[in-house]
Amino acid sequence: MNPTRVLIVEDESRIRKFLRISLEAHDYIVQESRLGVEGLELCAARQPDLLILDLGLPDMDGMQVLKRLREWSDLPVIVLSVRAAEAEKVAALDLGANDYMTKPFGVSELLARIRVLLRDRSPDSTSPQVLESDGLKMDLVTREVTRDGQAVHLARKEYDLLHLLLAHPGRVLTHRHILTEIWGPDRNEETHYLRVLVRQLRIKLGDDPTAPRYIQTAQGVGYRLAPGAD
Amino acid sequence: MKQAQTHQPSGALAMPHWKAYFIALTSVIVTTGLAFMLHRVLPLASLSLLFLTGILIVSARMGLRAGLAASILSFLAYNFFFTTPQYTFAVDDDGDIATLLFFLIMATISGNLAARMHREMRQRQDSLHRISKMFEFGRRMSSAAQTGQVLTALVEELAEELDSPVAVLVPGEDGRWSEAARTGSAVVPLESLQEAWDRGSDEPLALDGRLFLKLGAGPAAMVVVGRPPGQQEAQDLARSFCDQAAIALDRTLLASDLDEARVATEREQLRSALLSSLSHDLRTPLASVIGSTSSVLECGTAISEDDRNELLRNTLEEARRLDRYIQNLLDMTRIGQGGLSLDRNWVELHDIVSGATARLDLVPGRFPLTVDIPPDFPLLWVHGALIEQALVNLLDNATRYSPLDGHIGITARQQGDQAIIEVTDEGPGIPPGEWEKVFDMFYTASDSGDSLGTGLGLAICKGMVAAHAGSVAAGEGPGGKGTRMRITLPLAQQASPVPER
Repeated sequence: MNPTRVLIVEDESRIRKFLRISLEAHDYIVQESRLGVEGLELCAARQPDLLILDLGLPDMDGMQVLKRLREWSDLPVIVLSVRAAEAEKVAALDLGANDYMTKPFGVSELLARIRVLLRDRSPDSTSPQVLESDGLKMDLVTREVTRDGQAVHLARKEYDLLHLLLAHPGRVLTHRHILTEIWGPDRNEETHYLRVLVRQLRIKLGDDPTAPRYIQTAQGVGYRLAPGAD
Repeated sequence: MKQAQTHQPSGALAMPHWKAYFIALTSVIVTTGLAFMLHRVLPLASLSLLFLTGILIVSARMGLRAGLAASILSFLAYNFFFTTPQYTFAVDDDGDIATLLFFLIMATISGNLAARMHREMRQRQDSLHRISKMFEFGRRMSSAAQTGQVLTALVEELAEELDSPVAVLVPGEDGRWSEAARTGSAVVPLESLQEAWDRGSDEPLALDGRLFLKLGAGPAAMVVVGRPPGQQEAQDLARSFCDQAAIALDRTLLASDLDEARVATEREQLRSALLSSLSHDLRTPLASVIGSTSSVLECGTAISEDDRNELLRNTLEEARRLDRYIQNLLDMTRIGQGGLSLDRNWVELHDIVSGATARLDLVPGRFPLTVDIPPDFPLLWVHGALIEQALVNLLDNATRYSPLDGHIGITARQQGDQAIIEVTDEGPGIPPGEWEKVFDMFYTASDSGDSLGTGLGLAICKGMVAAHAGSVAAGEGPGGKGTRMRITLPLAQQASPVPER
């Protein structure tokens, strides 16, 4: 398998430096750019496997970069954002970013997110019959769900939610995205439906809500299924 | 209007003369009638007393002229009807002539006296009225807190007293006049205004059909009365009003100066507290960061791998602390500027707790932390990130003051339409006298040997909870040990249930 190529678009040279060092230490090939326009050109010319995109760039808004990129590419994108800007994160995710990291962040977490995104893209994901993650198993044909071998009986919407999460393990899904998928676009503001549904699902999965093993909350953004051990 | 008339100094005397004379005539007719009824039982001389009584009443009520008229009419009636020969103005008896003469003199003197009494009483009423007016005005002035209120009260009272439009004009730096307050629609002739201003006279100045009064010692403004009152008393009253208003203006200006000074002092205190907090709380972790990383660079392979990792972990921890501190500073600024915009949503308390404990790396099981939230605890209608920050700060505080193996508890319960969230620790506790003070900005426990606190955390917690119309209070921990921090949040009406489960 060819080494994975990661493009970093970030104007802070010190952040680029530690990203380059740690990514290269994990056998990724790293390209860097400090400008949005140049970053877009590199995406087109070099076809990287993953983009790490800072939202605050000197020449253009990171959101704009994302929007333009999504016009012609479904390249996985992790955006870097500052804290206390949940709305920005949600907007970036809705614009097609695949995940986000909040600055300041640790490298181990970033590496985990990169692995999740790249695994999502690996070629063996040809519509599987069974979805699995960390002891959870969902058979899409028989609609049976088991946790550590024990059968779990889910209502229809609970099943739909778990299906959605299991299809993208480790990926954060925004409230709006989940609501639209499960209740339809008319109800994508009714977050309390989702809160109640998640509560029910956690109870059925025996998940501790204050230290969840499966369904993790991204406060103000959405939910993600814990990536589980690789 | 009504008051303006009743306080006219000449009150009843100003009523039409014919009416006063008519009343004088009526009273004489009534007196004559009474005298007719009584002249059989009373001696003639006593009847004159009856007439005198009538004259006194008329004089006291209607003033001097009516009194004199009543005297003459009474004299004639007495002469005509009662002295012999009756029904003529001729008088037989010399004694009767003397009686008549004395009667006339007495009537004139007593009428005069009564009228003077009447006038003095009027004047006293007038001055009483003026005093009560001044008193009332003074009270209104002293309750006016701002310059605008003083001026509005002044023009309103003056307009009512003088029954005229009134305006207050203030000179600008460019020599233009601007209107500060007005009632009615007085046209102010600018040349006369300027002239009155230039003269700077203390006395009210009548110019161009208007009355100009200055306001303030080093006059700050001019008061213009559209229709100047004729009486000196009214002018005097207007002047006293202006004097009182000037005092009130001085006071409001002084008060606003004091207020500004107080705010400036507080801001200064806060700024210096912030600066000293900054230099201490940013430098302490930076000292560890610089010391640890430079040790790794300098010593190279001379230190063991374990030690190097220890130093690097140290660096990471301190950097995270810096991050938390900076977050606190940002939050504080937002709270301080009232720029805390709430992005409310339905939030599960469990999620807030798990977010907060994760950020502080307080994993239940690895840390003596218990969380007790009923499974059916209602959803909160809050800005999740802010309540999470409030909880992070409480937990941060609890861990900081807890002994190493000290137990920390998070509990929640519903009480009526309120959510109660408590964080307890087994630290040294807070003396009851400081239960409120701990939420003040830059307050840190007086006897905390380890000064890790920034004095911002609890103030921020309070600010964020208060932004949700909730409250946070400190108290004694369970069993009288440690501290209990209690967040109370109003519960919103729960949203409609989920359709088609």
